[in-house]
Amino acid sequence: MIIAHPLLGPRDASEFVYLGDAALIDRPDWQAPDAAERFHAYGYLRDNPAGAHRELWYHEQGDRSWLVVTRDTVTHEISRVELARDAARARGRGR
Amino acid sequence: MSQVNRITGGRIDRSTQIAFTFNGKVMHGHPGDTLASALLANGQRLVGRSFKYHRPRGIFTAGSEEPNALVELRRGAAQEPNTRATTAELFDGLDARSQNHRGPLGFDFMAVTDLLSPFLAAGFYYKTFMWPRAFWEKLYEPAIRDAAGLGRLSGQDDPDIYDKGYLHCDLLVIGSGPAGLMAARTAARAGARVILADEDFALGGRLNAETLAVDGRAGADWAAETVAELAAMSNVRLLGRTTVYGAYDHGVYGALERCTDHLADSGGKPRQVLWRIYAKRAVLAAGATERPIAFGNNDRPGVMLAGAVRAYANRWGVAPGRRVAIFSNNDDGWRTAADLMARGIEVPAVIDSRDRAAPLDLPGTRHVRAGAVADTQGRKGLRRITLTDGQMIDVDCLAVSGGWNPNVHLTCHQRGRPAWRDDLSAFVPGGDLPPGMVVAGAANGALTLGAALREGRAAVEAMGYADKTPLPEAEDEPRDCAPMWHVKDSRARAWLDLQNDVTVKDVKQAHQEGFRAVEHLKRYTTLGMATDQGKTANIPALAIMAECTGKTIPETGTTMFRPPYTPVPIGALAGRARGRHFRPYRLTPSHDWAKANGATFVEVGNWLRAQWFARPGEAGWRDSVDREVRTTRTSVGICDVTTLGKIDIQGRDAAEFLNRVYCNGFATLAVGKVRYGLMLREDGVAYDDGTTARLAEHHYVMTTTTANAVTVFRRLEFARQCLWPDLDVHLISTTDGWAQFAVAGPKSRDLLRKVVDADQDLSNEAFPFMACGAVTVCGGTPARLFRISFSGEMAYEIAVPARYGNAMMGVLMEAGKEFDACPYGTEALGVMRIEKGHAAGNELDGRNTAHNLGMGRMVSQKKDCIGNVLSQRPEMIREDAVQLVGFRPVDPEARLIAGAHFLDTGAEATMDNDQGWMSSVAHSPTLGHAIGLGFLARGAARMGEILRAVSPVHGTETEVVVVSPHFVDPEGERLRG
Amino acid sequence: MADFTLTSWPPLAGTDMTLAGVRLWAPTDLAVVSLALPLGREDAAMAAIKAAHGTALPEIGKSVVTADGVRLIRLAPDLAFAVFTHATPDAERVVAERLGGAVYTTEQTDVWVALGLSGPDARRALERICMLDLHSDAFAVDDAARTVMEHLGVLILRTGADDYLLLSASSSAMSFLHALETSLRNIA
Repeated sequence: MIIAHPLLGPRDASEFVYLGDAALIDRPDWQAPDAAERFHAYGYLRDNPAGAHRELWYHEQGDRSWLVVTRDTVTHEISRVELARDAARARGRGR
Repeated sequence: MSQVNRITGGRIDRSTQIAFTFNGKVMHGHPGDTLASALLANGQRLVGRSFKYHRPRGIFTAGSEEPNALVELRRGAAQEPNTRATTAELFDGLDARSQNHRGPLGFDFMAVTDLLSPFLAAGFYYKTFMWPRAFWEKLYEPAIRDAAGLGRLSGQDDPDIYDKGYLHCDLLVIGSGPAGLMAARTAARAGARVILADEDFALGGRLNAETLAVDGRAGADWAAETVAELAAMSNVRLLGRTTVYGAYDHGVYGALERCTDHLADSGGKPRQVLWRIYAKRAVLAAGATERPIAFGNNDRPGVMLAGAVRAYANRWGVAPGRRVAIFSNNDDGWRTAADLMARGIEVPAVIDSRDRAAPLDLPGTRHVRAGAVADTQGRKGLRRITLTDGQMIDVDCLAVSGGWNPNVHLTCHQRGRPAWRDDLSAFVPGGDLPPGMVVAGAANGALTLGAALREGRAAVEAMGYADKTPLPEAEDEPRDCAPMWHVKDSRARAWLDLQNDVTVKDVKQAHQEGFRAVEHLKRYTTLGMATDQGKTANIPALAIMAECTGKTIPETGTTMFRPPYTPVPIGALAGRARGRHFRPYRLTPSHDWAKANGATFVEVGNWLRAQWFARPGEAGWRDSVDREVRTTRTSVGICDVTTLGKIDIQGRDAAEFLNRVYCNGFATLAVGKVRYGLMLREDGVAYDDGTTARLAEHHYVMTTTTANAVTVFRRLEFARQCLWPDLDVHLISTTDGWAQFAVAGPKSRDLLRKVVDADQDLSNEAFPFMACGAVTVCGGTPARLFRISFSGEMAYEIAVPARYGNAMMGVLMEAGKEFDACPYGTEALGVMRIEKGHAAGNELDGRNTAHNLGMGRMVSQKKDCIGNVLSQRPEMIREDAVQLVGFRPVDPEARLIAGAHFLDTGAEATMDNDQGWMSSVAHSPTLGHAIGLGFLARGAARMGEILRAVSPVHGTETEVVVVSPHFVDPEGERLRG
Repeated sequence: MADFTLTSWPPLAGTDMTLAGVRLWAPTDLAVVSLALPLGREDAAMAAIKAAHGTALPEIGKSVVTADGVRLIRLAPDLAFAVFTHATPDAERVVAERLGGAVYTTEQTDVWVALGLSGPDARRALERICMLDLHSDAFAVDDAARTVMEHLGVLILRTGADDYLLLSASSSAMSFLHALETSLRNIA
């Protein structure tokens, strides 16, 4: 597979390490009243779509960036690649 | 033997004669020959015995689809079994042998199995060898394996070397026949970076095997000119002898180049190179494979595919027979007759299954209309054929054509399924091709030469590469085909899969017994499961299954095509990753010193670390390790601890960041201080531990365990980029940059005072336990000093730039001479950490929580940190959870075993009674008996209790006493001394 | 005190050979310092670099050689390396002093070993281990990339038409040398 890194261009997937669902960006608030339930869902519950899937890849043998890759799990077509840092900020993460 | 069947013509170099042997017999051929063409030239028709019935078999095809002519090549360690004689390029001195017979090839003792064939039909071993069950492994299977089979491995290490590589192109053209050459030429002239790959050593594909003209000259000459043009272009890479064996995601193709297989001696160069080709676009121009028609005894040497017979005559100047009959269901078979007759070979009859006029006017041969071959005669080679109408014709070769199957394989390597075309009676590429791929020429069902050239150009024109020159002129030869898959009137066995000995009857039997789905048919009969993957067999077998079920062929479907297209040697897949270079290895900075000073090394991940340093007179490793521990505890020991991960952390928010990735507090760590930190996984399980030193206001250096250095860094980057992207934190690994040594023991300070430059006060007051700082050593070399201890002794770790590491080890030992300092290895390190009760990999095993480790109170609930929420789940903080405690045997002489489970005295050894497990054990030279660390239910409250440590695996049981895990200096006075 | 002297012993020191017409050699005294740009203060950091070296940080994946012979390699939005010849183990201090605290600097010299590869067939040798497209259209002179070769992390730089500089971890220097040497032998 080839991942089109937004800054570096196409790179072989073997430079990357796969983590999983990009929902891992959405780490719950530790002080929420239902924090335990929310962390449980965060840690254990995953969608397993046949189709578009946003997932985290780490460019370990490259620039060390985490990427959010939108990949079709049926065809392996990659329709979008973002820097995870940008995706995280877009989802409201900051400090 | 002379080349009795060599005729005129062909694209071989007749000026050079080369000698080779087959089963020890010397034969001759010419450069340009394959082993198969040379064997045929020498009149050798019988070349092997079949897999199951040991039937005599000959050469069936002229390409990589060959099911029959598998041979062993070369001798000794280089012996290679199951090589297709049809693709093996002849070279001087080639030593080839036939396979799968006992006794001489002409008289195989195992041929008796053929007489037993009524009992050996499809699925025979599922039925025949059912009972008694115990006989299967001991008797039946070994006997069957012995009787059946292919070639033999040498049993020795492969003496050849292999390599891999990576290529990039705008356009990959797979196949160098007319379509492939046109595609490559058009794109190359337009400036594209082109790779043209072909499995053959002679580029040109079928053009080399046909008499068809291109632009008014021989097709093979046009091919040679086109190849020469391409070879001269800097934007083109020609890969002959290269099979593109797989189409992978996103335009990645796998290819195997056979670099030296055609040479007697590889000259120390890689025999084969496995290429990964990154292609923006690809043209699959892989041609088509002819298929046989099944009839009685159609497997005799001399029965061949018609296109192959023509190829031997045209390309290699070889007559596969002197009297050759043609049996065809299509026009193309007639061209074999025409080409043979043009070369003076007698063609007594063309038997056409169709009831129609001859497509070619061939005076001198007889046209049998609506005819079919029912049976053949000739024990080790064809002598006569019998037609369904009873007439017999004496022939020594029968050229059979059942039509052509486009080579759609690579179109199916991702999601594609082939589509049926009635007009061709064949599957062609369906939709859903691998992205970027187009198919052209015969592979796409364009079976005529003219169409192949047109499609080759059109395929790349559609990609935007144009060539304004006129298309080469070529004819669209007649290719009409009327399906006929087997001769129904044949009573004798009719073979479909020649390599796995599957017959028409086997397919019918599979149908009768309910194995009707193609995937079931395949597994029940083994059809298509041999090394040729049924390239000539599958479609006829499917057609017969369709006949049985009354369905159409497309309704019956096809099996999946998966990579590789043709076999890839394991050696090529391994490439250079062999022996010591199987994977990279890492050396510590003091490796050379350790090697020169008696170290025994152990692999820790990729690292080679000194395990212990044997001295003369020591009887075994225990002596050395005990001495290293005693010396360290009584004086001073030195250990290279460079392998621990070091991560440089800088930023205005570095403190906050550390506070969130460690479960214990880091916000208050002062500059010049070190703190122990425990990391949790988000699920609350303990993950890694180490120390982090604050070197400056915004500058820290973290250490990780050796094993987790890479993954901790990865997690920190995840936290930095994905969780808290607006913290100002920067990470960079410095693991390899600093040679770091533990200097441990009561004399460690005295030793370091001799090495660290005097401006650093090392007194306990100035540099207490958990202090750190930049220092200089040996007169100005920058270094870092940390007062931390894994051994439990007063200890330091000193780091110098790695280039000085080897020298530093020597300096420390030299300075330590007066204290009898010794180097110690990972074993002594392990013993001392167990004596001190420090958790390590055996304890941080991915199952235990901080609570289990006795560090539950470290997990701060006053801050957000990874893992703290889920670490508080009720199940994880149960009162009766296992806790890390120490153990000693009741009998001081007894040994302990890691992995043993704890049981109450008298309790039965069942899971219900399980109380926990021993995680680490050592012999403590300090205490003089074995000690262990382990996890015991409610362990902290059970000091002094006596339990049994039971290891059913070892068959041992030892009485142990529960004790504190801190066997040595439980109050930590030595550390702070 | 100071009775002891430390001798420098870089893992590949002295490597210099020619195989397949390609010179494979270990440059001496190559110093590497990482430059991390503080979040939110990138402009100040870039300005400090430009002031110190007279040259701005290049785009990601590019490098530039400053007038004082420092090769600045931009690896990521917030990370660059400064590579230059410097014998003593204080490269980080030298760089940091010129940047006046506007950039986080980390000593990287001993983290890495470097090998130069020069010759017309250098690219053909690299084809055996480097999965990047090194065609000059895709990887021009002064381009830089981090990738993996034979399981080793490598920073590859094109320093000339037929010249490359490769950096990899110093602890696996012997495997790194083996990878390049074997590639040259295999194409010789």
